Amino acid sequence: MSDIFVQNELAYKRKRIIGNVVIYVFLAAVAIAILIPFYWMILTSFKNETQITQIPPILALSPSDWKLSNYTDLFLTVPSGPRVGQPLFPFFRYMANTVLISLLTTIGTTITTILSAFAFSRLHFKGRDTLFAILLGTMMVPGEIFILTNFLTINKFGWYNIFTQTYGQAILAMTIPFMVSVFYIFYLRQTFKQIPNELYFAAKVDGTSDFKYLIKIMVPIAMPTIVTIIILNSMGAWSAYIWPALVTANDKYRLVSNGLRGAFTDTSTGRTDYGQQMAASVLVTLPLLIVFFTFRKQIMRGVSRSGIKG
Amino acid sequence: MEIKLQGLTKIFTSKNKKEVRAVDNVDLVIPTGKLIGLLGPSGCGKSTTLYLIAGLLRQNEGTIFFGEDEVTETPPEKRGIGLVFQNYALYPHMTVRENILFPLQNLKVEKQEAIQRTVEIAELVGLQEMLDRKPKELSGGQQQRVAIARALVKKPRVLLLDEPLSNLDARLRLQTREEIKRIQRETKITTVFVTHDQEEAMSISDEIVVMKDGVIQQMGEPQQVYDAPVNLFVARFLGNPQINVFDGEIKNKEVMIGGMKIGTTKLPDQKVTIGIRPEGFAVDTEKKSPFKFEIDMVETIGRDTTLIIEVESGEGGILDKKTFKAIVDVEHRISAGDVVHFKVKPGKLHLFDLSGSIL
Amino acid sequence: MEKKNNLRAWIYLAPLLILMTVFTFYPIVNAFIISIYKDYQPLANNGAGIITGYTFQNFLFIFKNQLFWISIKNTFVIAFISVPISIFLSLFISVALKNIPKLKGFFQTIYFLPYVTNAIAVGMAFAFMFHQNYGLFNAILGWFGIDAINWVGGTASWTAQMGALLIYTIWSGLAFKILVFTSGMQNIDKQYYDAAKIDSASKWTVFKRITVPLLSPLILYISITSMIGALKAYNSVVGLFGIQMGAQPYSMMTIVAFVYRYVSGYTDVGYISYASAAAIILFIITVIFSLIQGVVSRKRVHY
Repeated sequence: MSDIFVQNELAYKRKRIIGNVVIYVFLAAVAIAILIPFYWMILTSFKNETQITQIPPILALSPSDWKLSNYTDLFLTVPSGPRVGQPLFPFFRYMANTVLISLLTTIGTTITTILSAFAFSRLHFKGRDTLFAILLGTMMVPGEIFILTNFLTINKFGWYNIFTQTYGQAILAMTIPFMVSVFYIFYLRQTFKQIPNELYFAAKVDGTSDFKYLIKIMVPIAMPTIVTIIILNSMGAWSAYIWPALVTANDKYRLVSNGLRGAFTDTSTGRTDYGQQMAASVLVTLPLLIVFFTFRKQIMRGVSRSGIKG
Repeated sequence: MEIKLQGLTKIFTSKNKKEVRAVDNVDLVIPTGKLIGLLGPSGCGKSTTLYLIAGLLRQNEGTIFFGEDEVTETPPEKRGIGLVFQNYALYPHMTVRENILFPLQNLKVEKQEAIQRTVEIAELVGLQEMLDRKPKELSGGQQQRVAIARALVKKPRVLLLDEPLSNLDARLRLQTREEIKRIQRETKITTVFVTHDQEEAMSISDEIVVMKDGVIQQMGEPQQVYDAPVNLFVARFLGNPQINVFDGEIKNKEVMIGGMKIGTTKLPDQKVTIGIRPEGFAVDTEKKSPFKFEIDMVETIGRDTTLIIEVESGEGGILDKKTFKAIVDVEHRISAGDVVHFKVKPGKLHLFDLSGSIL
Repeated sequence: MEKKNNLRAWIYLAPLLILMTVFTFYPIVNAFIISIYKDYQPLANNGAGIITGYTFQNFLFIFKNQLFWISIKNTFVIAFISVPISIFLSLFISVALKNIPKLKGFFQTIYFLPYVTNAIAVGMAFAFMFHQNYGLFNAILGWFGIDAINWVGGTASWTAQMGALLIYTIWSGLAFKILVFTSGMQNIDKQYYDAAKIDSASKWTVFKRITVPLLSPLILYISITSMIGALKAYNSVVGLFGIQMGAQPYSMMTIVAFVYRYVSGYTDVGYISYASAAAIILFIITVIFSLIQGVVSRKRVHY
């Protein structure tokens, strides 16, 4: 009698373990699928011409075989063509531009977001809800609609002139239109709203002005959210492509995404140097990944929370 | 379906590696078709035991049997139990009908029969009118009836209820506990419910099981446990107002509190803890008993008079309280300030050794 | 007191309002206006712009434009295929994640990587992986005895190109959805799952009748926002195919790319009006599909 029951016990234990194994295998397969492009990108960047064109493709290289030539090539100056005299992939210049843009837009956005979220969460004023609804509505409008007119506006401000655009003007063109984010205002407002009213009243009784309350109390309490906003916003500049391409007259002003495409194809032969291309891709992707791994928890928490509340 | 627990143990490890034996080597046999109340203060392990029986928690040691079948390693979905959660756990997006049908569909019951049984069970609990409403449209009491219906509709071998009355208001509580008793009588399903309210447990259970710190203190019919507690904890836990506890001693076959004799015994001389329930006192009309006090407060309700006697520390040595209570017949017409001589009714004198066990 | 608050509020909102008026509200209105300008030269006349009249011809031009219809076809295919697939996949993955005892955080981090990368850089990596001769995809197909496909080469078929694009789009779309669904699932009371166990529900039943309905508001939100995002596909196409938008020029054109084509040609007469008209059409399509989703989901979404 007891033998039969022991069998049942084992059967259920076994079923549970098999179930878990199946799930892990599935998740591992997904993880591999996610990681393969990164792996391939890095691997290719270390291969030389012959290795790249090998069929069937080489799946792994021991570190001793890694060639850094693809990377060093990027920094060599180009002998001919439209970018003569400049490095093949002016990584550091693009990086510097991108970092600058990122910095400026983030500072600007953070300021407007904090001020606006404060107004919407703490202050009562006529038209508050209507205005908020309108702002939410604008989130539905495709970006292209804005780009059209904004492009013309930039022109009208004189910041974009094919012949005479200065670096400063390019920077202005790439930052000023992006100092506002309804999305982040919505997100921060949620956080502000969770700060109890009593704190505000207590501060008022102590004679604190609204602004001081905002800066000295609300901001520190909401700091995790604000940090998330700062991080997410800075990361956004990295992926900017269309707008910078549109409003920069000179390749020197461009951002990291712009220089990537087409830079590695020899226009005369039509052949693309994949090794260099991948090396450039790795360089572009790397900083972002470093930021991600450093701030992993913040980023993921922030994205998920803003996603849900939305 | 008899439930048998043998050597059941559940250990929880807290974050700082501290181990808590929530259920400690419990042996318990729950007879078929009875309504059993699992009773104890919070943290005593009663809910844990319930969830172990359900299979939602996995035991560290021990075995569980339903009748002849060992279910120790069986997952909850295959144990054939019904569970009424403390917060009901009704699926908020389904109607009452769908909530009740859900387990039947999972058990692949044939559609016609499933619909039939749903209607029957709804009638049993009095919910026929609500079948197409959603849980949030129902009151607490109604939600609970849905939870009970959902648990019963699959004709489980065992019905478990986790603190079924604690979320209800006082008026509803009385009503609902009678409902539970009635339903159990009609369906004859072995039922175990968990509660911290001793009055609740005592009023409807066929038997009660008192637990403390993961260990069963006593099991038996409510009145039995009430009248013959095996230790101080059980004595204190049951009974409202609470049992009076005195420091005393046995000397020369006499039981003394603060030098006053209140009874005799065959036990050897020793220091004892004495428990006397308020209703265990009787007034000595002959005024011969040495156990006498001046009454400080009198409360009369109907046919009972509650006498409250304050004792200053040092005098009489009352354990853990500054007052003790006696409930006597109102006909004695006692007022505050009167001196009353007390006797203890036969069988109402509970003697415990200093560790708390009955002597 | 009321008045004081009003004034103060508007002061706090001043930066927001000024910036938004110039760069958000005005452009929305302006887009509609521009779309009905005739022969618009925006920068002539010292920046004031010249028009010769008002017309709806711009819209007609678009509707008669073959490239526009190619864009519509491509964009719709991307939206209607990649969005449902990636939602279903990410739900599945989230449920799997929920059921494992350990390593949850590890997997979640890996799955989130595509979100923090540059679409163009990774797109190029994918383009190389899809290479007809040296690419990884064909190598793997070769293991199963399938012939190499020309995914993105000069003579690649539309189906192959779209296949590659869909694979890439789904790959990059999983990260955000998995994160949101996983968080959403954490917010579902564990009690419902306990009750379902007692009710003898199988894992699939739990998914279908408990997890999905309780997540339905979130699923709807993701569905709408993903659809909107997919309709705006652009960066991914550039990443995979380059500025020429396809293995053959413009074969993988999207609506947004179409808009940009005319925006960057703004010096040509009337071009910016075409861009505007196309953008407005995109806007209307977006609104229509969002509304349709909202209406269709009314019966299935539980709050």
